[in-house]
Amino acid sequence: METRVGETYFKRLIVFYIPLFMFLVAMLFPFYWMLITSIKPDAELYNVRSVPFIVKEPTLEHWTYLFKETLFGRWALNTFWIATATTCLSLFCGVLAAYSLSRLRFFGSTTIGVSIFVTYLVPPTLLFIPLADVVARLKLIDSPWALILTYPTILVPFSTWLLMGYFKTIPKELEECARIDGASRLQAMVRIILPLAAPGILSAGIFSFTLSWNEFLYALVFLSSPVQKTIPVGVVSELIKGDVFFWGSLMAGALFGSVPVAVVYSFFVEYYVSGITGAVKG
Amino acid sequence: MDKHTTEENIMPQQGLTRRDFIKTSTGVALAAGTGLSLFGQAPAFAQARELHILEWSSFVKPADVETDRQAAEFGKQEGIKVRVEHINANDLNARATAAVESGAGPDLIRLLSNGPHLYAKGLIDHGELIQEVGGEDIYPALRDAVHVDGVYRGVPYFSGGGAYVYRRDIFDEAGAAAPQTWDDFMTVGTKVKELGYPIGQSLGHSFGDPPGFCYTFLWSFGGSLTDENGKVSIDSQATRDSIAYLKEFWVKACDEGGLAWDDTSNNRAFLGGTISCTLNGASIYFIPKRNWTEKKDPFVWTLFHFLSPEGRAGRFHTFTGQNSCIMTYSKVQSAAKNYIRFIHKDENFEKFFVINNGYVKGVVPKWDKHPLWSWDPALTPYRDLANYGKHYGYPGPYDRHASEAWSKYILVDLYARAAKGESADSVIKWAESELKNIYG
Repeated sequence: METRVGETYFKRLIVFYIPLFMFLVAMLFPFYWMLITSIKPDAELYNVRSVPFIVKEPTLEHWTYLFKETLFGRWALNTFWIATATTCLSLFCGVLAAYSLSRLRFFGSTTIGVSIFVTYLVPPTLLFIPLADVVARLKLIDSPWALILTYPTILVPFSTWLLMGYFKTIPKELEECARIDGASRLQAMVRIILPLAAPGILSAGIFSFTLSWNEFLYALVFLSSPVQKTIPVGVVSELIKGDVFFWGSLMAGALFGSVPVAVVYSFFVEYYVSGITGAVKG
Repeated sequence: MDKHTTEENIMPQQGLTRRDFIKTSTGVALAAGTGLSLFGQAPAFAQARELHILEWSSFVKPADVETDRQAAEFGKQEGIKVRVEHINANDLNARATAAVESGAGPDLIRLLSNGPHLYAKGLIDHGELIQEVGGEDIYPALRDAVHVDGVYRGVPYFSGGGAYVYRRDIFDEAGAAAPQTWDDFMTVGTKVKELGYPIGQSLGHSFGDPPGFCYTFLWSFGGSLTDENGKVSIDSQATRDSIAYLKEFWVKACDEGGLAWDDTSNNRAFLGGTISCTLNGASIYFIPKRNWTEKKDPFVWTLFHFLSPEGRAGRFHTFTGQNSCIMTYSKVQSAAKNYIRFIHKDENFEKFFVINNGYVKGVVPKWDKHPLWSWDPALTPYRDLANYGKHYGYPGPYDRHASEAWSKYILVDLYARAAKGESADSVIKWAESELKNIYG
């Protein structure tokens, strides 16, 4: 174990490894719980006198049920497509809006910036009723486009707000040099600013993707056909019947539903951290 | 125009070339096309004639299968595509709200309880259908649920309610029989708790069991939230007496963790073997009956039900239904009406009734005489629920105010706070204030 000068093994254990271990347990426990619940037979699930953290006779019956008796695969595909399209759309709008608001000075830019942030604070539980009207008028009910066009109402304000802050950390001089060398505003943005802002853009993208992936209310209200549903809605519709919860299959659905998001995070975690916390040094 | 903007305008413009534009727009078109082809549809502008029905996902799985089968059969007869969508019962209100407000969505929604009062503006007049289905024979509690300002905004399809499921082996060990009165229940509950198998009662925020217990409990002591005219009447000696009883009952007889339970918690506790009795629909009984019928596990054969204990004002049960409600925006209202007629035909309803195996009751008394009730003695008490059944507005009107009081769990919280130790005066004062905010 590497220790610094003046730092004992014991101190390192106390201030670093034990907290890290506790943090890891707290973070990974939900995944562990989902996993063991999904492979427990019903008799063990309902036996509250057995030790809950181990499985005596593991079974794949809940996994089989999830994949064979429900449309989980289709829901996963729907969710992926909707989350990807929504993320692209939101990032596109967010980048343009954030760039304009942070770089161009025009009448009302500050007010617009604040307004965008305030828009983000409007809860979706209030917005879904008027949005339902809009979606119905556009005849998009029960179509993935209903979600692809409505999720940005939540995502664009957040992306814009996040990216505005990030763009402000990029020195103007870099862009001005490019302009002096003959680049247009668009070229300077695309070739100079955006590559530097990649961590921020990735952060906004991961946030958008995760939120679209997990979103429930709009997906519940705007989609009705089983083949159109997303994972959060499909799993709840098919695996909660009255006051009976199919815990094993529900947890299998939750586990497989959370894996793609975890994979996305693992690929981009360093960018994500620097996007949220760091900035470009001038 | 400020100085900066002016400078931007006089800078040499080297924007998108025509070639860049074509590249970009082609890429966007391809991406959009991929999405469209993958999902087979962009906005669907022209679709075949379809009847879209939205209802809960029943815990009696064959019941959903039978509903789908009947819908398909009706569709063939009527020459219309029928689609039945089953969703979690807790999510029906969000869908109904969006449908009514936007004027688009399912053609027929099976609204729970007195949902027709909440969504009346989006529902057609069902008066003609009500007469065909049973008219005055329909149980009053169910009729009130769809009767809004003199107009029937739905047709009750079936009704249900809770009874107390108990383990006879534990009761036998305690030397106790199914209780008939609340005093009996205190005695029985004390004994089974001493054996390590208390009564389990949910007092959390969940739509079924907690209100189902609290309302019937209060009524049986002679109390009520409002009087016949909808005037708040919670501050009464009857309410005080019920609170005094509950405080003692909670400590002596109940699993005190029930304060945090929802509708699923008592199922889990009962099937996990930690409690011996709880108020529930028949779902607890159906799970072991369906899954554990092997001789090696005789658990299911120890389960029986009894009706709500009697208090000084009598015996009460909550009795609510699921109502077929046709939306005003539906373009296939005629087919939707015929569908309701179809499912209420005796031969069709009987199939649905039988496959539910005692969970579902008919909306008119004739179904109480069906031989099904003698097939499984454990479920026979459910037959008599209607005799004691009242809606959540009782003795007042079953309108949107009653629904608001119910959905805010005011009575449930009254008892939960009392069980936690708050004084009767304090919780009654709080509940009265909340109720007056609703009823005015």
